Amino acid sequence: MITGNGIVKTFKQRGNMLGAREVRALRGVDFSIPKGGAASFIGESGCGKTTLGRIIAGLETYDDGEIVIDGVPMSSLTLKRRQPHFRKIQMIHQDPYSALNPTRTVHQTLRAPLALRAKQTGRSKAWMDERAAEVLSLVGLDPATVLARYPHQLSGGMRQRVVIARALTVDPEMLVADEAVSMIDVSLRLGILALLKDLRERLGVSVLFITHDVATARYIGDDGDLYVIYRGQVVERGPVDTVIADPVHPYTQSLLSAIPVLHGLELPGEQPVVPLEALNAGQDDVGCLFAPRCPFRGERCDTERPLLQLTEGVPQEHACFHPERRSVIARPMSEV
Amino acid sequence: MAQATTGQAPGVRVDGLTVVYKTPAGELPAVRDVSLTLEPGSITGIVGESGSGKSTLALSLLNAVQPPGRISAGSVEIDGLGDVVGFEGERLRKARGAHIGYVFQAAQNSLNPLKTVGKQLLDLGRSHGVEDRRGLLREAQELLGRMGLDGARVLDSYQHELSGGMRQRVGIMLALVLNAQVVVLDEPTTALDMITQANILKIVREVHAERGLTTLVITHDIGVVAEVADRLAVMYGGRLVEQGPTRQVLGDPRHPYTKGLIKAIPRLVGDIDQARALPGRPPTLATVPKAGCVFRERCALRMDICDTDDPAAVAHGPRIVACHAVKVKEHA
Repeated sequence: MITGNGIVKTFKQRGNMLGAREVRALRGVDFSIPKGGAASFIGESGCGKTTLGRIIAGLETYDDGEIVIDGVPMSSLTLKRRQPHFRKIQMIHQDPYSALNPTRTVHQTLRAPLALRAKQTGRSKAWMDERAAEVLSLVGLDPATVLARYPHQLSGGMRQRVVIARALTVDPEMLVADEAVSMIDVSLRLGILALLKDLRERLGVSVLFITHDVATARYIGDDGDLYVIYRGQVVERGPVDTVIADPVHPYTQSLLSAIPVLHGLELPGEQPVVPLEALNAGQDDVGCLFAPRCPFRGERCDTERPLLQLTEGVPQEHACFHPERRSVIARPMSEV
Repeated sequence: MAQATTGQAPGVRVDGLTVVYKTPAGELPAVRDVSLTLEPGSITGIVGESGSGKSTLALSLLNAVQPPGRISAGSVEIDGLGDVVGFEGERLRKARGAHIGYVFQAAQNSLNPLKTVGKQLLDLGRSHGVEDRRGLLREAQELLGRMGLDGARVLDSYQHELSGGMRQRVGIMLALVLNAQVVVLDEPTTALDMITQANILKIVREVHAERGLTTLVITHDIGVVAEVADRLAVMYGGRLVEQGPTRQVLGDPRHPYTKGLIKAIPRLVGDIDQARALPGRPPTLATVPKAGCVFRERCALRMDICDTDDPAAVAHGPRIVACHAVKVKEHA
């Protein structure tokens, strides 16, 4: 179980004569991902979802808040002591082309973390080779053919599988997949997604999926929570299918409305929401972060910031003063 | 000059086009015997995975395939211009930009980081002998304004001062500012997030209609084509395997590859397990079979004839399908 409470992260850009500029990447985010469970972060680029994923994987520090891994609060430990905890959380990056060292064979790539593992547990060299073959089989690759190959001899889909295999060498509890299929060919994407789903079921690893593609998030973790993040704040959170079918925050509605409609198979949603302006045209300190782009803003939205909470009659948490269900996603023609 | 076509969108006819790349294993075809008609005033979408030859096909419209590649057979006939495959030198350079606008893949990176957008625009004008520089700037400002940007500000900006969506719009402006009537957009929304993508697609549709263009959109994302295109063409291993009106192809795909591709898209509603992965993987230039159907390795309907004979593209009404299995079904 991994939880976060009030995670805050501010990036300070190098100053110029007008002073340093601060970018508030995360403004107090809470999350919780149960063992073997799933969660998805969605939002536009720049919303902070990748930063949050990196913090959870221990690749980035945070300024405030607390991350608790299996009951151990990370702030109580020194950086060095945190390492074994964060090792349970492995990151799958977006680009399998740059995530693998081009001068190492698959075998060499897997051997480095396995050597560490063998040293820790006092296992033999033979165990390392056995385990390397095992993790490759787990991700659907044939060890005999890929072990000796270099990354350039593999397709994008195979490389991403090697990256996942490498993550599995340390017996992780959670995989953080950051846009893990967006650079994979369309016909191979589902294979990688199905693999992540399968690893959840077979090994009990939890998966945190970070994406702007809501449908792939649903595919991996329809039993988990969907977190909609806007400018560093979670604006809506609830079970995946609830948020997709009955979103109440206008930003979630805008995101879902923007998903292309497969005309011929689907009919457009009934109440699409189009945001008023582009991102970053925004107030920072007071009022709702989404208000400048919100077609439904009221007076209160300019003066007070809504916090993520449960309100009467809405099953999911949201951060909006005027939550209203709207049917925005495309409907399959077969069901109309 | 070819001014006769002004006001009316030109049609484009690609016929029997083959583009080969020189490799250590000899010349290998990236695009093989492709025929495709872009009806005047239509938006056509080409969908394909990496290595399917879709970008090579798009570059052929400009006769811009770079060595070690070359167009080895076929023609690209553009109304009011002629067969661009035969063009070279100055004549070709003038056709590009003035007749055919091209919005490059990752427009994010196709701008010069050292020059403002306005300077690059003037460079473009100079290289095409535009004398009315004020007119050119005015036109560019209007186009940018049309796409929801502050034209004057954007022209004064360097690329790093613009967001991804803004740069993509600058790319579209540069493709249209010389009044090109045929526009090719290569992966216009890749690397943009959902809301920006929806905005860009809306702009593509609107500008297309307002200026009476003939538009070709190249993408790996069926959703993008579904949103903008009248006609959809599916490419695989250098071949066009299926074409037809977008809604018909999506609603009732005929070619096994198209079927598999549509089935492999996870959906927002309904049973998750309906989505099925396509087995195998797409061929590369080196692994495309020399004879027979390019898709047979991954095909559930594979027959003996698929190993030896490349299926011809056969028209069934407005639909064109290149598959032995589909033909058999139609005749039976």
